[in-house]
Amino acid sequence: MDAEQAEVRVLEAEVQALKRALEELPAPAAATARVRKSFPEIYQSDSEGWETSKDLRSNLGNLESELLFLNTLTGINIRKYSKKTENLVSAELTERRIKKVLQRHKLSGNCHMITFQVEFQILEVQNKDNLSSVITDLNIIMESTAYSELSEFVSRAEERRDLFMFFRSLHFFVEWCEYRKRTFKHFKEKYPAAVRLPEGASSSCMHIRSTSQPGFELVIVWQMHIDEEGQVLPKLDLLTQVPQRALELDQEGAVAAAPRSFRALLGALGVEAALDSLLRLLCAEEPAARSAAPE
Amino acid sequence: MELANSLSQEGGPKGGVLAHLERLESKSRKKFEEPQGAESALGSKIRKLRSLRDKLRAEVQRRQARVEASVEPDQTFEVSEQEVLETKLENVKSILQAYRFTGLSGKLTSRGVCVSIGTAFEGNLLDSYFVDIVIQKPLQIHHHSIPVFIPLEEIAAKYLQTNIQHFLFSLCEYLNAYSGRKYQADQLQKDFAAFLAGPLQRNSLCNLLSFTYKAELSGQSFPFCARLLYKDITRTLPTDVAVTYQGMDALSTSWEEQRASHENLFCTKPLHHVFASFARREEKLDMNLVY
Repeated sequence: MDAEQAEVRVLEAEVQALKRALEELPAPAAATARVRKSFPEIYQSDSEGWETSKDLRSNLGNLESELLFLNTLTGINIRKYSKKTENLVSAELTERRIKKVLQRHKLSGNCHMITFQVEFQILEVQNKDNLSSVITDLNIIMESTAYSELSEFVSRAEERRDLFMFFRSLHFFVEWCEYRKRTFKHFKEKYPAAVRLPEGASSSCMHIRSTSQPGFELVIVWQMHIDEEGQVLPKLDLLTQVPQRALELDQEGAVAAAPRSFRALLGALGVEAALDSLLRLLCAEEPAARSAAPE
Repeated sequence: MELANSLSQEGGPKGGVLAHLERLESKSRKKFEEPQGAESALGSKIRKLRSLRDKLRAEVQRRQARVEASVEPDQTFEVSEQEVLETKLENVKSILQAYRFTGLSGKLTSRGVCVSIGTAFEGNLLDSYFVDIVIQKPLQIHHHSIPVFIPLEEIAAKYLQTNIQHFLFSLCEYLNAYSGRKYQADQLQKDFAAFLAGPLQRNSLCNLLSFTYKAELSGQSFPFCARLLYKDITRTLPTDVAVTYQGMDALSTSWEEQRASHENLFCTKPLHHVFASFARREEKLDMNLVY
């Protein structure tokens, strides 16, 4: 008996050591199928019915097009998703007939040019009256540092654990950025000599110079501001770059008033019309247009 | 023999094989502790352990060989096409499920799509609503569960035909704001009823609230009337707040201070948070409550 017991101990130790060795060695995805086949006493086919490859392929095709459709509908592309569930058990909970489940979710993807990785926890509590689900932790990682306006918003979303607000505002932010890009491109095409986009059409600045008065340059700064409740609002400002001599001549302070006047123009005409009228003014040939400050 | 969990692609058989081995081990240990007699039981256990050890050894050797040879796994081992498809299928299915965490998800229907809009407030997942859209020219809403006081027709008229994403996210905005306001009012009635001197009056859109509550200052209690109006129904905080009191006499300075500070609190913090701070019975309300 002792000898056999000893042998059992030895075998168990060997099995332990081999398990540790297995952990060290990488298991290729392809090997999973073979491992299943070589350990038949461990693995049993767990598919309820043998779907033929053909069925699987058509099923997969349908689901993939559904995914593409959702992607198009929402503008959000989820590329990876994983989930872990943990049943929280305790004597007290069982006694009070309360069930608690902690879910850990991880998803990553992109919304146009902005990529994101989101990790969050949801606590589900079921008592005899109702079921409540609460996001108890939210972590958002964004790769694009080009959009500094987003970092403050992301911290706020994390603090409030407002996952839906994150995606909603992300969508509107991206929509505004695309609109800004289209608008800048449009004006660059319409007034090629006057408009400069030194940082490209995706940036927040558009430079305008008067074709008849070089040296006068206006910079339109168009940023997106995300407020406390996640609403995205465009914020446009006008900066002037004017030669010293001209400033000395500017007795009425038209240059200093330019930013304020521009904002009034924006309010009255809206973004596109305001920019258009500004550009037309600067590109006009008449001597009346020599004063570069918009009125 | 028990079933093992299916292998996860990334962690290899770590979850499956090892978990099962652990179970085998504990089973064998238990059997060892209660000698059910006869060497045959022990003998068969030895045989089983030996077989398992040999198989594990073989697997370890195989993997070591592969690592040394640095051969591409796909070339050395065949994977059944079936298994590849099954894994892909599971993957796609789970991503489809994950869309509900964006607040917007949908299922294809025979005529179009049924979009589901989720709402939440401060991490609390609340009601969801659906809009059944028929895909034809022009797009039409066939069916929906949007409450009547949400301006669905207005939003649809503006965006449905030209920019469906904007339509959906705009609807999200309105619904989430409504859900948030409703949640705050519900929480007030549920958790802070002791503070209310009378019923909470609210409309269905939950953008007009009126109630009388007991304000406390240095042990004294005084009834204040509060009226909260949320003019912007895409927001969860009120735009207009009026805290008043009944009676013609002017308030003492300290009470007037309270009244003014309460007005400010209702404007800047969610309703139930304001009452939670009252409940903490601090003489000086901390204006820097973290939201």
